Amino acid sequence: MIDQPRTGIGELPFASMGDLGLDKKRVTQCALSRICGVCAQSLDRPVAFVGSGEELERNAFHFPPTHRACAEHALEHWAPSWSASLGHPSQPESWVMVTTSGFEFVRQNADAADRRPVFSPNSILEEKRTPALRST
Amino acid sequence: MAIADVKEYTHLSPEEVEELGRELDQIRADIEESRNSDDAAYINRMITIQRRLATAGRITLFASKWKPAFFAGAAMLGVAKILENMEIGHNVMHGQWDWMNDPEIHSSTWDWDTAQPAEQWKHSHNYVHHQFTNVLGHDNDIGYGILRMAREQKWNVFNLGQPIYNALLASLFQWGVALHDLDIESIRKMEKDPEVMKKQLKQIGVKVRRQVGKDYIFFPLLTGPAAIQTAKANALANLTRNLWSYMIIFCGHFPDGALHFSEEEIEDETRAEWYLRQMLGSANFTGSRTLHIMSGNLGYQIEHHLFPDLPSNRYEEISNRVRPLCEKYGVPYTTGPLHRQYGQALRTIMKLSLPNKFTKPARHDSADSVEVPRGRKKDSERPTRRTETGTWTSRASA
Ligand SMILES: [Zn+2]
Repeated sequence: MIDQPRTGIGELPFASMGDLGLDKKRVTQCALSRICGVCAQSLDRPVAFVGSGEELERNAFHFPPTHRACAEHALEHWAPSWSASLGHPSQPESWVMVTTSGFEFVRQNADAADRRPVFSPNSILEEKRTPALRST
Repeated sequence: MAIADVKEYTHLSPEEVEELGRELDQIRADIEESRNSDDAAYINRMITIQRRLATAGRITLFASKWKPAFFAGAAMLGVAKILENMEIGHNVMHGQWDWMNDPEIHSSTWDWDTAQPAEQWKHSHNYVHHQFTNVLGHDNDIGYGILRMAREQKWNVFNLGQPIYNALLASLFQWGVALHDLDIESIRKMEKDPEVMKKQLKQIGVKVRRQVGKDYIFFPLLTGPAAIQTAKANALANLTRNLWSYMIIFCGHFPDGALHFSEEEIEDETRAEWYLRQMLGSANFTGSRTLHIMSGNLGYQIEHHLFPDLPSNRYEEISNRVRPLCEKYGVPYTTGPLHRQYGQALRTIMKLSLPNKFTKPARHDSADSVEVPRGRKKDSERPTRRTETGTWTSRASA
């Protein structure tokens, strides 16, 4: 059964457990069912990823794919004050949003320090960086 | 029993498992880096061939009152539907071609020529089946909720009818698949979220209307006086596609040698362990290039399960590297001619219609002591946390 009854954007991203970070099971579900990590509905083209500048440099995002509008919503509502809900225990130096047509879903190996799976966009269309807004 | 205890590779140390994983990673990286315009040309050519065949079939059916045209039209349309479902739709919806950045050939926009809505397929197949491959109680593709396919599944008097249900499932495959993600058992038990059910039923309704409208109303009426014959030919094309796709899909995980696993936990499975489970749970079949294309390259089921989102036209090349790796590490690589693989799946269906005490376990079977309850897991019931007491139990199919 599809565990995605909601039709809009909730208090929390679909793939998130809030302060506890990302819900690994839902991250995998988003990756394979190709649904949005924010609103849980089928993805569109292009696919967007939200993350830190560092994730962009490594081309390895932790937060699952989203709609473009959902990525913007995440950057506006959760990124500035609740980075944990997007899978970042502390506020990153900068936030980015990229859009891509496709991505690879990469599970981690036993020797990885961080065992969370990552996403590597493989056909980037657009890249937007914003300095992190630190809330105190 | 932990995945490391599965007897097929207990000889591998954890380091060797990780080493095998790294070798498979290298294959993946090589293919990702070498995807190019030849691959793009391949899928575009497939789509062109498929569309021409469908058009030729539909045009031929204008003469469907004449027997040879009836059969020629039905055959062309049947082949077109098989190509669309197997080599194009299934693979596009896995995201195998998303890297091309083609607005039309994309996992989020493709809808295929069959009754199941794409979104529900991406849930039941891409996620549930590919993530929980052959895990009893999780992978709903094990017998499609109708057939008992593993000795660990509790026998019920209802199972005596398996030969009949199997024939029905094969001929009505597209409708069985259409209702697959709906999970009728959970509706019967009143456990289904009404909001989700409403959404799914609406999607299925729209899709069924479109499929029935196309094959049994619009195109038949277009052929005027031949309408009834055309509708019959379309039904024949759909039946052909149903039987073929049923057979290919049953060859993927039910021949002897494809292992079943019984739960616990997979979230913390490493990539290498995940690769191993995919290899041990899948079975290939051998055949000509044309047979492989007509099967959506699912004759390379092992390669497809290792790399579900790499382009299908590369699976042959990948298999030429995966098979030697299996030999090197002593991991079974289950394959054989199509008729033998399907024969084994069919034998399991027949055999498991009877209680375990009447039949002998096959070579791979372990004890019959573990029983898995009927019914499906909800997404919210899927495992999340690793427990120290182990991960997988391996049981082979009968
Ligand atoms: Zn969304």
